[in-house]
Amino acid sequence: MNAVFAAIFILSCAVLLFLDPAGFLPALLDGASKSAVLCVSLLAAYAAWLGLMKLWEESGVTRGISKLLRPVCKKLFKTRDEEALSAIGMNLSANLLGIGGAATPYGIRAATLLDKSPDARYSSSMLFVVNATSLQLIPTSVVALRLSAGSAAAADIILPTMLATAFSTVLGVLLVKLFVPTAARKEKRLLRARGKQK
Amino acid sequence: MKFFTLIIPLIFLLSFLFAVFKKVRVYDSFTEGVKGALPLVMSIFPYIAAVMMLTKLFEVSGLENKLVQLLAPLFRGLGIPEEIARLVLIKPLSGNGSTAVLSDILSRYGADSYVARCACVAYGSSETVFYIGAVYFSEVKQKKFTAALLISLFSYFASVILCCFLCKIM
Repeated sequence: MNAVFAAIFILSCAVLLFLDPAGFLPALLDGASKSAVLCVSLLAAYAAWLGLMKLWEESGVTRGISKLLRPVCKKLFKTRDEEALSAIGMNLSANLLGIGGAATPYGIRAATLLDKSPDARYSSSMLFVVNATSLQLIPTSVVALRLSAGSAAAADIILPTMLATAFSTVLGVLLVKLFVPTAARKEKRLLRARGKQK
Repeated sequence: MKFFTLIIPLIFLLSFLFAVFKKVRVYDSFTEGVKGALPLVMSIFPYIAAVMMLTKLFEVSGLENKLVQLLAPLFRGLGIPEEIARLVLIKPLSGNGSTAVLSDILSRYGADSYVARCACVAYGSSETVFYIGAVYFSEVKQKKFTAALLISLFSYFASVILCCFLCKIM
C-alpha cells in the first residue's frame, strides 16, 4: 500500500505541476472534504447497525449464526479464535444480504482479531479477498438505479450478477489458497529443503 | 422486486421482537452499541481521507483518462465494450465515482442496452477494493496485503470478462 500510494501520488503531483499547478490544492481539498462527508454518512449508518448488532449479541443471534457458519469459516480462514470466527460469520452473512453498513464493523473487528492469530497473513488475506470480491446475493442499489433510468426489466441483471460475483469469489479463494502460504505449508517446505541439503 | 425492499425493515423488526422475547434491556443495549460508532469512524477516517485525496488527484491530473485510453484496446480484445472501460477502472478505486459513471452510461445508452446491462453487472458484482483494504485493515499492524490486493483485482477483471459474455448470451 505504501509503495502504491507514493507512486500514484508523486506521478499525479508531477503531472499537475506541469499542466495545472493551480488545480492541485483544490483537488486535494475536494478529496478530503468528500471523505469527511462520507465519514458523516458512515457514522450515521454505523450508529444504526452497531446498535442492532449489540442487540444481536445480547439476544444470542450472533452466537447462533456463527455456530452455523463455523465449520465453513474454520476451514476457509484457518483460525481457531472463537471471537474472530464469530465476527467473520456475521461479516459474511451481512455481505450476502447486501447490507454493507453492518458488514464493515464486523469485518474490521475480524481483521483486528485475525492479526493476532498464528496464520495472520493467510487468514487476513482470505478475509480481504472474500470481501473485496463482494459475495453478494442481491444487487439492490443497481436494480434501483436501473428502475430510475426507465428500464423495462430492471431485475434481469440479478442472475448474471450473482454468477459473476460467485465466480470472482471462488476464483479469489482458490488463488489465495494457491499463492498465500500458510504457516503449516511454510514449515513443510522448510523441512523439505533441509532434507535435500542432507 | 418488492420483496427486496422488505428485507431490512424485517430484519430490524424480527431482531427487536426476538431481543424483547429474550428479555434483553433493548434501549440500554442499543445505545451501548451506538457508542462504538464514533471511535470506529475516527479510526478509519485517516485512511479514507488519504485514499480519496489520492483518487481525486489521479482524476484531475488526467492520468486516469490516459490509463483508460491506454487500456481500451486491451479491453476490446477481451470482449469488454470500450464504453465501460472507464467504469471498470474506476470501480476498485472509488464507490461514488463509479456510481456517477454508471448513471451516466445508463442515461446515455438507455437502461436496457447491451452496454448498460454489462455496466450494471460489472458494477454490481464488485467492490471498491482499495477502500476495503484501507478500512478493514486500518487497525492491523502487519500490512502484507500486496498478494491479496493483486488477487482481488485479478478476480475482479476476470469476472468482468465473464459478465460481458453472460450479458451477451442471456
